[in-house]
Amino acid sequence: MLSNIHCPTIRIGKRSVNVFPYWVSLLIAGIFFGLLGAVTVLRDGLHVTGLSNAIPWGLWISIDLSAIAMGGCAFVFGVIVYILRIKRFEVIGKLAVLLGFLGYSTAGMVLLFDLGQPLRFWHPVVFWQPHSLLWEVTMCVVLYLSVLIAELMPIVLEHPVFHTHPWLTRFRWIGNLMKFAHKVAHWFHSAGPILAVAGLTLSLLHQASLGATYSVLAGRGIWFNQSAPVQFVFSAMSGGIALLFLSSVFVFRVMRPGQVSDEALLDIARIAGGITLLLTYLRVWDWAVTNYYSFNRTIALQTEVLDTVAPYTLTFWLGQALLPIIAGSILLGARQIRNFRLLMAVSFLPIIAAILTRWNYNFAGLIASISYDPFTPDVILNSYTPTWVEFSVGTLVISYWLLMFSLAARYLPFQSTKEHH
Amino acid sequence: MKNPNETPPEQGEQKVARRDLLKVGGALLGAAGLAQFFSLNSLAVRNKSEGQEGDGPKWGMLIDINKCIGCNYCTYACQAVNNLADDMLYNVVSVETTQSGEEFFLSRPCMQCAEAPCVHVCPVGATYYREDGIVAMDYDLCIGCRYCQVACPYAARVFNWKKPIEKSDKAPDFGMQEVPNRPRGVVEKCHFCTQRIDYGVERGLVPGVDTAATPACVVACPTGARVFGDLNNAESPISKARTEASVTLRLREDLSTEPRVYYVPPVAESKTPFIQNQEG
Repeated sequence: MLSNIHCPTIRIGKRSVNVFPYWVSLLIAGIFFGLLGAVTVLRDGLHVTGLSNAIPWGLWISIDLSAIAMGGCAFVFGVIVYILRIKRFEVIGKLAVLLGFLGYSTAGMVLLFDLGQPLRFWHPVVFWQPHSLLWEVTMCVVLYLSVLIAELMPIVLEHPVFHTHPWLTRFRWIGNLMKFAHKVAHWFHSAGPILAVAGLTLSLLHQASLGATYSVLAGRGIWFNQSAPVQFVFSAMSGGIALLFLSSVFVFRVMRPGQVSDEALLDIARIAGGITLLLTYLRVWDWAVTNYYSFNRTIALQTEVLDTVAPYTLTFWLGQALLPIIAGSILLGARQIRNFRLLMAVSFLPIIAAILTRWNYNFAGLIASISYDPFTPDVILNSYTPTWVEFSVGTLVISYWLLMFSLAARYLPFQSTKEHH
Repeated sequence: MKNPNETPPEQGEQKVARRDLLKVGGALLGAAGLAQFFSLNSLAVRNKSEGQEGDGPKWGMLIDINKCIGCNYCTYACQAVNNLADDMLYNVVSVETTQSGEEFFLSRPCMQCAEAPCVHVCPVGATYYREDGIVAMDYDLCIGCRYCQVACPYAARVFNWKKPIEKSDKAPDFGMQEVPNRPRGVVEKCHFCTQRIDYGVERGLVPGVDTAATPACVVACPTGARVFGDLNNAESPISKARTEASVTLRLREDLSTEPRVYYVPPVAESKTPFIQNQEG
């Protein structure tokens, strides 16, 4: 059980030092730094950020989109474990649920700071507006986060502390509360397949709608793109599953050797590789459709303007086409390669590509916006520099993600003690 | 870094694994196809415009670019009446050029689109069409997500980044505050001075004719470049002005937002075939 977990150590001279406490302290320091920015923005309002009327969505929305993409493995593995019932992924499925929960809770947290009226975050749930893509995204994220909590609860409650802690008998109400929690967790666990179907539906809907959130805006030129929804889905799957591979090698092969077979881990790399290649294929076709088979003067001008301030075209060809093809091919051949260090290093590329896609998408239409001048319409170059508050809140949510992941990697009982079904 | 416990996979196992991967692949492809279908076809569908239907008044504005001298009085009056700080303007006057390079002033209020992108995207319905076609805001519903700002092709929306100011420096010279302050963290916009229209209509005044019922920017314009009125009434000042003008145009007509603000283009431009095509 817990005693078999190997924490990463580093050698200093002859001593072998456990890095875990130092790593956790660093993350807690990051959270404290982040709280400074969080308090500042809640007290003083959004004018402490670098956002403006020309660029109303900035660093936080990019982090939000990326965090949701990083949770993209949860729905895939929910289906694999509960619906297709592929047994050897069962333990990894729990890690996928955790990554999903972390991605979505991080996104929710950063959105709270980005809203002008954070206390009205619940409005979309009550005041329905089904023709708005952002409404649909909000509803799906809220519901999906609930699904993820329901999926995560039984896993967390398997920790021995919830069964054998002396307080459970010393304080009767805690004992009763835990009994009730275990009962609820058991219901949730039995409802696994239903939750998996709900999770699949909800998360496919909103991963696609996040792309559509941008792509329905005809006035923004470069955003107006039919294939954005499907690209967002596939890039979330590619980046999310690459992250799952990376973290499951770390959690299961390094920290809990022998708990998951190498074959299962290599299969995750293969799934990630296959989807990465499929995504790159779609992206290159999308490029061809929008830039080669058709020509839109405004989009061409926008791209030109973006290239003057950032390596926009280069990041596409390098970061979203060439490197993912190499990474995808290597990951697809994981069974033949069998070198976990190489595979782990390579699996960073689809993750970076997924984040880059969202980063570029969010900024492209805002930085190079089209003027409404009737006779000589032009592309205006807007500028945006995040302030320390934005970096601080960014540090807060990223530290939260890493801290929760580290604690889970160390303490979460992935191997069930009970006999299932 | 080979695991010593690892055993070479059996042939049969590998077959199962391949079938598993195919199953996973098939399921994901199907699901992604469904998601694409739903997100683009049913959920993203535009709600029906409430703008062009009905017999009631539909308020619109006409701005004659040839008469505009760029004095910014419209902007100042708007600031005074809505109590706006200098860095958040509902109405913006900018200098633009014609295709032949002549400069002119382009004065831009909210277009009050009949197919307003901001109404389509608002996740809580804080932006809505009034019966008279004006695109209005419910400041108590707005969550400050700023999707409407991102969606508006005319940059007509301003976010309340700071606390509202005490008093605009344009008051009282250009008017007095007529609407309550909006809280920090909501998006605001030009509303064609609905407080004046509603006040006037209740008392039998005619917006566009009686100054008390007409938007402040129209009243403040010293050259009469702005004309206001009911687009559904042939006798209204705007309908007459539209008939009089040989050519009118609207901004970004390519986006099918159906704005209710019309412009009389500069004389040089009104002769080019490009403009005449726009009005059909």
